Amino acid sequence: MSTYRLERRLEVDTKKQALTRVAGALIAMAVAGLVLLLTGRNSFKILFDGLEAIFGSQRGLEGVALRAIPILMTALAVALSLRMKIWNIGSGGQFLMGAFAALGVGIHVNGPGWLVLILMALAALVAGSLWILVPALARAYWDVNEIITTLLLNFVAAQLVTWASIGFWRDTEAAVIQSTKRVPYRLAELPGTDSLTIALLVPFVIALVLFWIFRSTTIGFEIDTIGGNARAAAFAGINVRRRILLVMLCTGAIAGLGGMLQLSAPGARQLGPGYEAQFGLTGFIVAALAGGAMMGVLVGGTFIASMFFAGLVLQTKGLSVYIIFGIYGLILTGVALGEMAARYRLVRVGDAVSSERVAS
Amino acid sequence: MIEPDHSYAVEARGISKYFGGVAALDGVDFKVHWGEVHALLGENGAGKTTLSNILAGIYRADSGEIAVDGLTHEVRTPAQAIEAGIGMVHQHFKLVETMTVAENVHLGWPDTPTLVSQRVLVDRTNHLMEEIGLHVDPTAKVWQLSVGEQQRVEILRVLARGAQILILDEPTAVLTSHEARDLFKVMRDLVSGGRTVIFISHKLNEVLEVSDQITVLRDGVHEVTRSAEGATPRELARLMTGEERTLEVEHREITGETVLQLEGVTASNDRGVVALSSVDLVARSGEILGIAGVSGNGQTELAEVISAMRRVDGGTITVDGEDVANGLVRKVTDLGVGHIPEDRIGVGIVGSASVKDNAVLRHYWTEGLSSGVTLFRQAVVDFATRLVEVARVQTRSITATAGQMSGGNQQRLVARREALLATRVLIAVHPTRGLDVLAAQEVQTAVIGQRDRGAAVLFISDDLDEVLLMSDRIAVMYEGRIMGIFDRVDADREAIGLMMGGHTLEEAMAK
Ligand SMILES: Nc1ncnc2c1ncn2[C@@H]1O[C@H](COP(=O)(O)OP(=O)(O)O)[C@@H](O)[C@H]1O
Ligand SMILES: [Mg+2]
Repeated sequence: MSTYRLERRLEVDTKKQALTRVAGALIAMAVAGLVLLLTGRNSFKILFDGLEAIFGSQRGLEGVALRAIPILMTALAVALSLRMKIWNIGSGGQFLMGAFAALGVGIHVNGPGWLVLILMALAALVAGSLWILVPALARAYWDVNEIITTLLLNFVAAQLVTWASIGFWRDTEAAVIQSTKRVPYRLAELPGTDSLTIALLVPFVIALVLFWIFRSTTIGFEIDTIGGNARAAAFAGINVRRRILLVMLCTGAIAGLGGMLQLSAPGARQLGPGYEAQFGLTGFIVAALAGGAMMGVLVGGTFIASMFFAGLVLQTKGLSVYIIFGIYGLILTGVALGEMAARYRLVRVGDAVSSERVAS
Repeated sequence: MIEPDHSYAVEARGISKYFGGVAALDGVDFKVHWGEVHALLGENGAGKTTLSNILAGIYRADSGEIAVDGLTHEVRTPAQAIEAGIGMVHQHFKLVETMTVAENVHLGWPDTPTLVSQRVLVDRTNHLMEEIGLHVDPTAKVWQLSVGEQQRVEILRVLARGAQILILDEPTAVLTSHEARDLFKVMRDLVSGGRTVIFISHKLNEVLEVSDQITVLRDGVHEVTRSAEGATPRELARLMTGEERTLEVEHREITGETVLQLEGVTASNDRGVVALSSVDLVARSGEILGIAGVSGNGQTELAEVISAMRRVDGGTITVDGEDVANGLVRKVTDLGVGHIPEDRIGVGIVGSASVKDNAVLRHYWTEGLSSGVTLFRQAVVDFATRLVEVARVQTRSITATAGQMSGGNQQRLVARREALLATRVLIAVHPTRGLDVLAAQEVQTAVIGQRDRGAAVLFISDDLDEVLLMSDRIAVMYEGRIMGIFDRVDADREAIGLMMGGHTLEEAMAK
């Protein structure tokens, strides 16, 4: 007559946790499939269509990659801040401001393409970090919570871009009312692809650099220490304020650069409403589910991008958008539950064997 | 069936309890008379909490039986325990912080009227407190109370439900020594009113001070039950640890040069109130300068200004002649100053980081561990492995998080880490608080070892016995001032006690 109870693990095995997340997603997909079957839809066909959309052609894979770039950029930005337990909810705004600044350079500066593109990238990095400067100073010097400040600046950025697209940078030659001029420069194409540019390499390079920083450098050590216990960090002689500023400005810069990269995507060489298609929010979900692990962000971001792409194709095949959103939600919940599941284990009460306890 | 024998409040016979095949309790007999304070003494892991949880109906014994007031009881749930008259106050409180004292006392109590106004609750609570002789403002919210007051609310909650036998699990671990004194008074009042108190502790002095009877557990085995009268700390320590283990501290004549010097140091605490007023101190190489005083009289701030964790408002602090006041933490560390902080979990350790990262927390940036940009990961592993070994830290691996270790192991880690850094000055603030005898002695040994290697040690503790044991010289602190400094040979316990209470040196000597 023993009962069972959940017990928190003292130590979480990150490899196991990766597996439980995958299991969570698979279980969620199975549940979704079952529900669809019960409502008279052929879930096997839907699954097949979805996989076919992604893996069936080069266009499918390129479509996923195109969606992955902006998501990965914002996700990496957020993941960096999460390491310090800072919640950058404003990566969408920084993304937009990066695009805004890059566009400004792109339409006003004439010169060799490579030079203008470098200037555009620099402008995006600076603009992204400027957009988080005030929240960063407020957090570092007056301990003002960054969640609200960064969130609110998203709306300001959206307004600014709307203004540009119907006002000072409006594309007067096109029939569209809300769109800016187009940037005449585009990043170099990736050889062997139809639509991809070297933009695809950027998030992977950044992820590798961040991974190395957190694995092997003193700065990474300091950021993790502050994230773990800011008072202990001060005791270790770390200049906590300076590190907060550094991390927050870098997170803004990465998101801003993401905005610039997106200008090279097909059909997105100008700014308008919908340019920031929830990339900030999606990136946030990816970073949070990955728990700030850079390699986890790469996997998770690519997964979410494939999911979105498959959903888009299924929509054109007549599957209702509500069902698709329902499936998205179910899968993400499955991943989140899988992440949690690895933190707990089932024990029998009565003869609780706590082999993990270390007596003092 | 045995004849009911009403002379015992609790009589537990042959209690065993296994966790995953390992015996936490092995055939323990435990008999407690009515109207006594009965101490349950033992090192961490001895099984004290397990035994009390069984008495309080939280765990079930695997074998053995329990009689309360001579009648055998099935104590299977906390409710049954309460019915039998047993109530327990746990190591970690179970109060709702946002509710008032009165609400907390009545929470989940069957006697509480179903529809009830705040006024009635307060009246009932006042009435109860009158009856029991314990007082806390019934309208205060729990989060506004000090730890000692919260504990009183817990006791009140348990007694209100009719408990005649009160089990207190390490109640003093969270209290200042002043609050502990108050609690002892409450305990004595309760037993003179006819109740019985089972007092769990691993602190010998407290146990000797307050109890009538003492039961010692070691590794889940009942060692002895004896009267507190005539018991000596030495004997109890031997029973607890199974070895003759009292620390002998050798004190020699101090001839070393001045290392640490404070002149006219003034500083404020976190609330902006003056915490140190014009403190002058000198600590020499090879000596332990003890700082005696009741907690909260500026000791914390004194430690913090020296390690540059807190700004001074005036005065100078030098280490080997170098001015360090208002300097950088790293410069102070570089000069060879180590600091075992008072709040080891809040300041000394990053709980979410690995044991190995915590091992290098305070000097990861130094030569040998880093190039300034990259960390030498192998060097970090080597250092951490060695530290864990010399400090005898028990951990499954150095990559496990520090937060999952017991408090004793965390403190072993912090104490050794800081001792290694402290080539010139070691500041130790309440370094043995909350530790069992063994861990405390290891920490004390680390401190003495550093002194013998030529460091000047500032040993801050509110346990006067410990200060007297460890120190070569003793300074008494009261309200941010140094009231007087004694050489060890002239140290008079009485006089120091009086000065800790605010008497001047002259007054203390006159009495
Ligand atoms: N819930 C539990 N699961 C597994 N082991 C436990 C549990 N509770 C206590 N123990 C083990 O039983 C022994 C006694 O622990 P405890 O009663 O907490 O000791 P004390 O209170 O004297 O410090 C220890 O070895 C401890 O690790
Ligand atoms: Mg215990």
